[in-house]
Amino acid sequence: MEKPELIKDGKRLDGRTPKDIRPLRIEAGVLNEAEGSALVEWGGNKVLAGVYGPRECIPRHLSDPYKARLKVRYTMAPFCSPGEHSRSGPNRRSIEISKVIREAFEPVVMTHLFPRSQIEVYIEVLQAEGGTRVASLTAAAVALADAGIPMKDMVSAIAVGKLDGQVVVDLGKDEDNYGESDVPMAITHRGKEIVLLQMDGLLSREELAQNLDDAIEGCEKVYEIQADALRKTYEKEERGKLKL
Amino acid sequence: MNIERIVVPGELIWEQEMRVPNTAVVDGKTYAAVVGMVRDDKFIPLELVYKAKAGDNVVGVVTDVRHAGYSVDLGLAHDGFISSKFTRVSFKQGDLIFGKIKFTDEVGSVDITDAKRLPTGKLVSVPASKVPRIIGKRSSMLNVLRDGSGCSIFVGNNGYIWVGGKGNVQLALKTIDFIVKKAHTQGLTDAVAQYLNENGGAVTVPPKDAPEGAMPPKEETKEANPLMQPAAEKVESGQEQAEIVEKTEKTEEKLDIEEM
Amino acid sequence: MGEETKTKILREVRKDFLQELLKKGKRFDERNMNDWRPVEVQKGAIKSAEGSALAEIGGTKVVAAVKFGIMTPFPDRPNEGVFMTGAEFVPFASPGFETGPPGEDAIEFARVVDRGIRSAEVIDVSKFFIEEGKVLGLFLDLWVLDYCGNLMDTGSLAACAALLDAKVPKIEDGNIVRGEYVGGLDMKYKPLTTSFIKVGNHFLMDPSRDEEYAKDMTLTIGSVEGKVASIQKSGDAGLSKDNVLELVDVAFEKSDELRKYL
Repeated sequence: MEKPELIKDGKRLDGRTPKDIRPLRIEAGVLNEAEGSALVEWGGNKVLAGVYGPRECIPRHLSDPYKARLKVRYTMAPFCSPGEHSRSGPNRRSIEISKVIREAFEPVVMTHLFPRSQIEVYIEVLQAEGGTRVASLTAAAVALADAGIPMKDMVSAIAVGKLDGQVVVDLGKDEDNYGESDVPMAITHRGKEIVLLQMDGLLSREELAQNLDDAIEGCEKVYEIQADALRKTYEKEERGKLKL
Repeated sequence: MNIERIVVPGELIWEQEMRVPNTAVVDGKTYAAVVGMVRDDKFIPLELVYKAKAGDNVVGVVTDVRHAGYSVDLGLAHDGFISSKFTRVSFKQGDLIFGKIKFTDEVGSVDITDAKRLPTGKLVSVPASKVPRIIGKRSSMLNVLRDGSGCSIFVGNNGYIWVGGKGNVQLALKTIDFIVKKAHTQGLTDAVAQYLNENGGAVTVPPKDAPEGAMPPKEETKEANPLMQPAAEKVESGQEQAEIVEKTEKTEEKLDIEEM
Repeated sequence: MGEETKTKILREVRKDFLQELLKKGKRFDERNMNDWRPVEVQKGAIKSAEGSALAEIGGTKVVAAVKFGIMTPFPDRPNEGVFMTGAEFVPFASPGFETGPPGEDAIEFARVVDRGIRSAEVIDVSKFFIEEGKVLGLFLDLWVLDYCGNLMDTGSLAACAALLDAKVPKIEDGNIVRGEYVGGLDMKYKPLTTSFIKVGNHFLMDPSRDEEYAKDMTLTIGSVEGKVASIQKSGDAGLSKDNVLELVDVAFEKSDELRKYL
């Protein structure tokens, strides 16, 4: 496919300005069984996260006598992309993403409170449109809070990058494939600590610095929506109501 | 003063260091570690993971019988344990029990004492953060529940609740659901009494809520803890059940719960 | 102490109590013996699929998605398209679900839903022939998101709704033109299942998770237009011939009630 013109007259393919975030909707407590859960609808992404734990660590020999073991599994459903039906099951990409998401939560989840146990986060991407890993991380953070897992801080994520020479926020459909750079990032709200950072493409030092600032700013917006979703669960009567 | 706001993990509660569960202290300030409510300068977690501590009441299911004792499912990361040395009762796999936590340690073991077998009944699980509301101040809520439904009810701090007896079990379960949904609201005991009456129950005991803002009395009664007596044999008769209910209430009064 | 062992123990605990309630003609929640729990269907839930639906019965949630792709036909049916059903028990759907490839329950689930649809002959795979060695494949995926009892019927409901929602893509020069469609699947019937569990001497339809703990066996009956399209018996206990026929009658009536949500 020919590379589309990604920015024209300050407008992106979907009409957004460089700093606009796609429509983001978050609901917490959307499942009955999972101890904590969250739905994130971000642009064309639909991601569901569910949390169990702390519960018995399996296998036993991997349990840590001083803290809970964090397990994260990120998967994409075979029907999540508008193109071909893909195979289900983990692949190299999903294994790497599971790892970096887990590592993003290690500094914030207070695992030392639950020795010899495990906390599991399962993330299922039901619909994908660019930025699934940051949507997944955002959902996982809300699901962990919904489960009552104590955390020192709240984590929010966003992907920033460069399109046609311009620095932009929240890469969407086609932008992460055809853009010049893709920088997914996750930051803690209070401490402003970067807990996930990846990058591909080519950026000058100034461009990267701009990206980091933009991501911090963008994550603030994401945080507000996450916090809102958690506060709202107490106003609504029903848990376990899911509307995709 | 009744300023109420819902805080999420990482949000500031107090500008000074306070040692309160489910919070995190960073640079001398205290932040929420779980979603909770700040009301009257108190932090009330709305979602939390139960952390077993000595003195808590628990309800569980016996899952394994060994020479040394019994493993009990408490809905936690680790099973609880009843040592054969400290109980005269013989349990079997599948028995429902009500007991007290004797001690816990830093690797999560939970030792249970004064375990009593519960007769056939319904076991439900509620989020641990809602348990204090189901018990209520000085068991006020639990009394209304038992009275209005006519059921025997045992509440474990671990989030397991046993409902049984000859009363309206379905009403008791529905009401527990109602309390869980409305846990964060005020005046709940009255609302629950009303709910019970509207749904076929008959609350005869007026809800004994302390006036708003009062602290529960800190009387440390010297009466012997009734559950510390040697364990009774298989409980089946209504009379023995009533005794247990009474003894449980006394114990619950002493294990006081935060003001809501 | 694994989930399976806990389940077995909890089963005995609940069974006693449920049987006492059943003697008085009551179920755990306040339903009549043959009532569906609350039902909701959201068609078109997944925009990346060519057809989709989220179905919920009493808290159990299943997403069904239909995707089309170009495939080589089966060697024994060279002129027919391919219809395949897959399922996943997503680990967050229940504390007892594990990660890994589908186990026997997930496989049984997919195959029983598939059988009900295939027997009803509602998908005309002969229309999916493109050219020699190329046919259209229809992939039906059943993703279990929340397990609160009665997976079979919720899965069948989601599958039927997704198939009704599905749009067949346009084929040009032996390739799919994504985004362009030539119509729906034109399904003549709406195949659905109705499941019953046996607890002691009672048969309960649409069991909740709690009730399933107490079951001795399950019977799932797929039906369309007053005909039986599939049957699956699972579990340890047995049942009589009369039982089967009585349940078939109930299934005919009850699946019609469910069809109103499609």
